[in-house]
Amino acid sequence: MPLSAYLIVSAIIFTVGVLGVLIRRNPLIIFMSIELMLNAVNLSFVAISSYLDSADGQMFVFLVLTVAAAEVVVGLAIIVSIFRTRRNIDVDDMNLLRG
Amino acid sequence: MTGVQISFFVLAVASVASAIGVIAFKNAVHSALSLILTLLFLALFYLQLGAMFIAIVQILIYAGAIMVLFLFVVTMLASEVDETQLADRIPWQRWVAGILGLTLVAALSYLLFTGTAIDSGAKATAANSLSHVVATQGNTEAFGLALFHGFVFPFEVTSLLIIVAVLGAMVLGRKA
Repeated sequence: MPLSAYLIVSAIIFTVGVLGVLIRRNPLIIFMSIELMLNAVNLSFVAISSYLDSADGQMFVFLVLTVAAAEVVVGLAIIVSIFRTRRNIDVDDMNLLRG
Repeated sequence: MTGVQISFFVLAVASVASAIGVIAFKNAVHSALSLILTLLFLALFYLQLGAMFIAIVQILIYAGAIMVLFLFVVTMLASEVDETQLADRIPWQRWVAGILGLTLVAALSYLLFTGTAIDSGAKATAANSLSHVVATQGNTEAFGLALFHGFVFPFEVTSLLIIVAVLGAMVLGRKA
């Protein structure tokens, strides 16, 4: 398969993730959409790595995976602590930088 | 159509459909399950591209560890959150988001079709090419060699990042 086929699948999945962030108001689903975007980029990294016959793209996938794990851990902890104090996690209500 | 093409199109349709499922399902648990499906399809893409180690890591870390954490939090909070009962304060949001999304995917596809191709001169030379190392040493060995030869510093910074994330989660999770 040509490289651009993989890149277009990646672009479509990335756009779906962007739409999820723009449309949904449940912060958990917004987080999942961010994961979708990270994975779309990973797909293009692996495709380009295989196209260039070089392992560098796979290294970047490894780093993105680590950053995604750290982001999920901290992000979910923030959501849980917001929920503890407010009993409500509508993102439209979170418009102040204080509790 | 060759087998590779057929599997590519099946995987492409399945992964895009399950990605749309993530943002379309009302129930957050269904969204999380749909996201797991997307991650598994992407792992199959990686297998098709010959990146076996990345595919296994994808299944173990992403579809396994990260999504378990997600499902824990979703099941803990999902019963309390009902998005359908929230008042829609910005009614035109969906339409604008749809138009912006279409614009984005059109622009990306246009650039991918008409933009200059990736310089083939950037391809690795035969001696240190990935396929050569994979053929002589093995797939995981090729990944490890590249990681610990060219990417030692980023690898160490990664461990620092994980420690900071764990500390951050502990501080946030403490009873305030």
